[in-house]
Amino acid sequence: MREKRTLNLTNKERMNLPHQEMILMEAEERVCSFDEVPIGYNHEQAVMEASRCLQCRKPECIKACPVGIDIPAFIRLIEQGKPADAAKKIRETNFLPAACGRVCPQDKQCQAVCVVGRRNLPVGIGDLERYAADYERKYKTLEYPDIPEDTGKKIAIVGSGPAGLSAAYELRIRGHQVVVFEAFHRAGGVLIYGIPRFRLPIDIIDEDIKFLENIGVEFVYNMIIGKILSLDDLLGEEGFDAAFIGTGAGLPRLLDVPGANANGVYSANEYLTRIYLMEADKFPEFATPLYQGKKVAVIGAGNTAMDSMRTAKRLGADVTCYYRRSIEEAPARSEELKHAQQEMINWKWLSNPVEFITNEDNFITHIKCEIMELSEPDDSGRRIPVATGKFFTDECDTVVMSLGCSVNPILPATDREIKINDWGVITVDGETCETSKKGVFAGGDAITGGSTVILAMGQAKIAAASIHDFLMGKTKDKEEESLEMV
Amino acid sequence: MTERINTIISNLNLDTTELVCEALDNIIKLENLSQEEKILLTEALTAIFYHHDFGDTNDLERLIIRTEKLIGNFGIDVLPFLIEELINADSESAAYLGKCISFSEVKGIEAILAAWEEHDGDDFAIINIIQALASFTVPEVSKAAPKLIASTRSNSPHVKAMALSTIGVLSLNISMDKLDDKVRKSMFNAVFSLLGDRKPLVRQNAVKTLGKMHKKAILTRDQEGKVHSSFTAMLGKDGEHNWDREFIVRHEIEHYIQLFTPKKTLADRYKQSFLILNKHELCHNTFHYEVEAPFIAKKIKPGQFIIVRHSTQSERIPLSVCGWDAEKGSIQIIINSVGKTSTEINNLKPGNKFADMVGPLGVRSRVTKYNGTCVVIGGGYGVGAIIPTARELKAIGNRVIGVIGARSKNLLLMVEELKSACDEVIITTNDGSEGMTGFVTTALEEIMNRETVEHVLAIGPVPMMEAVSNMTREKKIETYVSLNAIMVDGTGMCGACRVTIGGKVKFACIDGPDFNGHKVDFGELVKRQKMFVNEEKRAFEALEI
Repeated sequence: MREKRTLNLTNKERMNLPHQEMILMEAEERVCSFDEVPIGYNHEQAVMEASRCLQCRKPECIKACPVGIDIPAFIRLIEQGKPADAAKKIRETNFLPAACGRVCPQDKQCQAVCVVGRRNLPVGIGDLERYAADYERKYKTLEYPDIPEDTGKKIAIVGSGPAGLSAAYELRIRGHQVVVFEAFHRAGGVLIYGIPRFRLPIDIIDEDIKFLENIGVEFVYNMIIGKILSLDDLLGEEGFDAAFIGTGAGLPRLLDVPGANANGVYSANEYLTRIYLMEADKFPEFATPLYQGKKVAVIGAGNTAMDSMRTAKRLGADVTCYYRRSIEEAPARSEELKHAQQEMINWKWLSNPVEFITNEDNFITHIKCEIMELSEPDDSGRRIPVATGKFFTDECDTVVMSLGCSVNPILPATDREIKINDWGVITVDGETCETSKKGVFAGGDAITGGSTVILAMGQAKIAAASIHDFLMGKTKDKEEESLEMV
Repeated sequence: MTERINTIISNLNLDTTELVCEALDNIIKLENLSQEEKILLTEALTAIFYHHDFGDTNDLERLIIRTEKLIGNFGIDVLPFLIEELINADSESAAYLGKCISFSEVKGIEAILAAWEEHDGDDFAIINIIQALASFTVPEVSKAAPKLIASTRSNSPHVKAMALSTIGVLSLNISMDKLDDKVRKSMFNAVFSLLGDRKPLVRQNAVKTLGKMHKKAILTRDQEGKVHSSFTAMLGKDGEHNWDREFIVRHEIEHYIQLFTPKKTLADRYKQSFLILNKHELCHNTFHYEVEAPFIAKKIKPGQFIIVRHSTQSERIPLSVCGWDAEKGSIQIIINSVGKTSTEINNLKPGNKFADMVGPLGVRSRVTKYNGTCVVIGGGYGVGAIIPTARELKAIGNRVIGVIGARSKNLLLMVEELKSACDEVIITTNDGSEGMTGFVTTALEEIMNRETVEHVLAIGPVPMMEAVSNMTREKKIETYVSLNAIMVDGTGMCGACRVTIGGKVKFACIDGPDFNGHKVDFGELVKRQKMFVNEEKRAFEALEI
């Protein structure tokens, strides 16, 4: 039998409850600092928003979540005024709730299928997740999971981004010894170098890393696997029983147009890494320099493009977005687009950069674009941008190219047994996430070529389960072998 | 009204365990006690705490536990009385009274804290109060943390010792996770600093408390390390002569240090120290370093490079490696002070550590057997970078000629090392103060005139590499140059190091650093190297002030 709801309302009444918006910092205020933009729900708002959930018998939202969080269950706990229990519930399937509540594209996943959304705005699942996670952090209600006895198996995790961290967690709670190898001096991968602090405060990541350390996951920094140790070294001489590759999509795509190598033209990766990993915003106290002028052009309209624009704005620039399609096709999360719009970014939709014009010192001075128009929808319903032959030129002194990434080639290039496809993406078995090399599994952007934090976590979870089966199955084999020998 | 308790109270005064027990049984049966009655009973019961000279110890212990519980259950009605008793009690009774008070949980803590305020300065009372706190197991006892921390700085060694002991007990009993990180940290620091106290009593208690904190696993790895090394030193096992002279302190440490035997973790094996083993000056503002980095030393190949961050606020800079010793686990680098970061590095001394070193990065240099002569050319401190490749070219049977270019004699470096790696070395200086007068191209031309050159490697300033490439282009002599583009991560992630090679964009960090010199767009490289010239100037100026 199902528990009674806190508020005695009919489904119809619930659907008509007003959607609660998180309180945001004012746009004028927030472009002056790197503080987080939404302040979050207060208790009443969270309970009210949770009351909007219909507690469907066959919840679509769970199916739409890449890690399968029991969404109705945690929402119900919030409605009952038990946010700490809600956080615990989320942690059963997702150990990075504070990060996922902030960066998941909920409007394309759980919230897209929310039944309430058919009539009203969908339930703010991400905001509620964030509320529960923040409550847990604020009141320190986090409980450590019990780690079963050591299985004696050692697993090497390559990369400490969302995929690597999840795989580490999932394997550790099964009692394996886990070592995470990170190329940088700090763990978190894209969560550290690619996602701005005003979207995901850095303390959250550090706390999650600390949590992993406390449950016995070990981290080693400054280690580029493939260069300093090969996969064969790890699985051979170093004695690891399996490896997981979560190296991400660290190879920026760049425009192939004249002037693309001009000074002041960055990839979004470089721009964000300089600022967030290396803290160039505090130059010269922190020694990494950043050249940024007054007029910044950002090319692209995905999440990373929004992040770059809003970062440039915070560093005092006049920022313009150039995108060859229209706003409807912009791939960014709707919330990011909305926040960027509030922050007085200029928009040049249907503008395709064709040249970066430089001065004699190779510094960028102008961006030349061709005006595009959208074709009629093709068979797949997509509207293709078509050149019009009309051009315009804008002044600018910094360009950030945010055109997505390809898979980082270092690891596959150093191990021939790891098969990749034509786009450099590591090919894996769809069910187990095992690569073509025995005992090596992979997940995240390294096998998708670029996707979301939560999808990476979902794949890492699958891979971790397969690694566990692989290792424990292997033990059985050994026992059988020894029996046979007797 | 008080009739019913009078007889019981008089029984309590009888000096046999049996009678006292009977009295206790009778008290439990009483119902609806007034506050006045409770106080009277408490007064009589607490007397048990003071004279403990009857029965055998086991009986007494049981008796006292029962009594504590009985008084505790009277709750807040008797709190003021208990507090009054507490501040005047002897230390053993104080412990029992504290236990009674702890039954009132939060109210008890509040009452104790209030008494603490009131009796501030009365060390006798404060010691009892601190001791009483140790009985609490509810997390609210953390409210007392600031006062406890303050007491570790008291003038009285006894107050200090008691504060330490209570912190130790509380660490074991309550979940310190509930404490604010800052409080936890200052609590640790307070206890840790008392390891150096003048009084052995205080040091001994500090050792115990740290031991308990460690047992409860509430120390961070960093704190654990600090405690462990202090303990080692105090036992006189660190080779220095600052061991603790008091036996009782060392004895305590010997008990607890066993818990500290560092857990060998899997990751420890991979932690390279980046310790500077050796440093010497090659010429003005240019230093040669030998740094401990066993894993890099084991894997690095000629032509590969590393990225270095010398402090946690520093930038990541790419550096070429001029040698390594895989057995010793060290690599050698050369740093010339040109800006803020290199100047800061050159202030480091042997014994200091680099914060981070990543490598080996990039693709190794081309090394194969040629029919003709190989010429390796180093300009400025690029000389260091050509040595490993020269050595390997020679090792597989090539004739290798080294060419060094410098402005003047006093700027020449690594000459002997290069000589040991080549069949012949030609030195050129612009002012003619040593060797041939002119540029490296002067020497290259001479070599090309006298023998068949099949392979050239040039590392140094861009104009030099460009001049070399131009000279060999017509004769179609294979020429490689090593491009020192600006980099951030060195793994292909950012694209800062993009260079144009034969009209195509390449990343120096993963496709290079060596490229075919005849195809490199040197003009673009020079300009791109100046991307941050203003920022670098600003940083350098800030450094000099």
